[in-house]
Amino acid sequence: MVMLVRWAVTSTDMSLKVCSIDDLRPGEGLRIDSINPPIAVFLTEDGEVYAIDDTCTHQDASLSAGWVEDCRVECPLHESTFSLVTGQVDQPPAKKGVRTHQVHVSGGAVYVELSTAAPNLPPGVIVA
Amino acid sequence: MKVLAREGHLLIVGAGLAGYHTARGARLNGHTGPITILGAENRPAYDRPALSKAYLTGAVSESDLALDDPDQPLDVRWVAGLHVAGLSEHPLGVLTSDGEFWAADAVVIATGAAARTLPETNPGDAAGRPYVLRTMDDALALRDICLEGLEVAVLGGGFLALEAAATCTQRGASSVIVAAGEEFPGARRLSLPVGQALRAAHEAHGVGFASSARAVSVTSTAAGHTVHLGDGSAVAADIVICACGAAPATSWLAGSALRLSPTGAVLCDDFGATSIPGVWAAGDCSEWQSQSKGLRPVGHWQEAVEQAAVVAAGITGAEPQPMQEPYFWSDQYDLMLQGAGAIASADEVRIISGSVTTGDLLVSYLREGTEIGILGFNRLREVKRWRKQHQRKKAAVLAA
Repeated sequence: MVMLVRWAVTSTDMSLKVCSIDDLRPGEGLRIDSINPPIAVFLTEDGEVYAIDDTCTHQDASLSAGWVEDCRVECPLHESTFSLVTGQVDQPPAKKGVRTHQVHVSGGAVYVELSTAAPNLPPGVIVA
Repeated sequence: MKVLAREGHLLIVGAGLAGYHTARGARLNGHTGPITILGAENRPAYDRPALSKAYLTGAVSESDLALDDPDQPLDVRWVAGLHVAGLSEHPLGVLTSDGEFWAADAVVIATGAAARTLPETNPGDAAGRPYVLRTMDDALALRDICLEGLEVAVLGGGFLALEAAATCTQRGASSVIVAAGEEFPGARRLSLPVGQALRAAHEAHGVGFASSARAVSVTSTAAGHTVHLGDGSAVAADIVICACGAAPATSWLAGSALRLSPTGAVLCDDFGATSIPGVWAAGDCSEWQSQSKGLRPVGHWQEAVEQAAVVAAGITGAEPQPMQEPYFWSDQYDLMLQGAGAIASADEVRIISGSVTTGDLLVSYLREGTEIGILGFNRLREVKRWRKQHQRKKAAVLAA
């Protein structure tokens, strides 16, 4: 899988091309490691594409490996779920939500406009 | 089952995971009366799993482990540093060691468990006592030592012991020897391939393993410690960490009318109700009926969270969520190990993929040919999917 990160020439000039739509599987997340901190791109069963920060805010776990249902992803380690739309968390052990990133799909490619907010990384995890 | 009046006083004894989640659940279910949580430790309630990992390496701080959310604190009266001395049935309440009586309309016992230790012999000027890892003070004592150049012996073969061994290695101990009580740690409970994979991971990081006999006692002198194993062999160490399990912290209930198990656990039905009306128990101090029968595990973080939710539902008259498949996790080095399902009752184990040396082992547990559990090393997606799919199946069965 090729995940080129570059300033893409698209309708939004701050977008990054992160993957191809064909790299995504319905109901699953794809971790984009080339972005720091990594983000996760999700394709829902309804065909919508979302991007959020990949790291659970409670502990270092990749949300891309989580369970996607009703436009939320449940952390693969515990039971906190995050809204793919707003990033908000529903219950402990996580206390903080994740950032969401604007997505648009064009010509089979997925472009992401990264949030400029500070990420809510879990304790002990720092941006390398 | 007696439901607590909405304005009644809920008294929770124990400020750990089960205590916190009982209070949270009661509030979510609409309880409006006062909730008091009595904690023995002089700290805000905290989550324990990191004590053998990120807290022990210094990667996370005490405030990072707080259970209560500072942005959305529970409407609860926390009382810290107070030891309970006894339970009263009539009138219902708890006596604390300062002589105060805390009257309640419902009592939840969530005092957790205390670390087990081995018999110790300490000739004069001993090199300190073995360390345990149960409370934040325990972890702090161990965190404050510079381990560089020191020989560490870890007693026990469970996840706590293995996590401590991994952490000590990462913190620069010159040697770490685990007396796991079996050749491959975890093999008895989780199958041979899992034990082999765990041992291989630790050996790859330089951790050694003592003979397969259990550690039985520790002799300490000014020169250091000697750990004696059941087969007569011995391990010498500068630092000994005893991670040999935990016993329910229920000595304060001796003499009460509560029914306790032979190990001292508060016996409950599968709703957390004890033998005394209005008194409930959850978490590591308790043993629910399905745990007594061996159908569910004891001492897991996940059990405490779910039991607390069930108790909160019972107290407030809400419909309890069915318990999920048992679940545990452990992180050691770069491995995230997760297991789910009724692993203890398996009669067959199959390796689905990966191997015992590559950090990607995925095994399936079966009983009479049906899959009843799963365990993976760095298999977060597979384990989560298994858990959710089994939860759905269970919900479908219950709905039918």
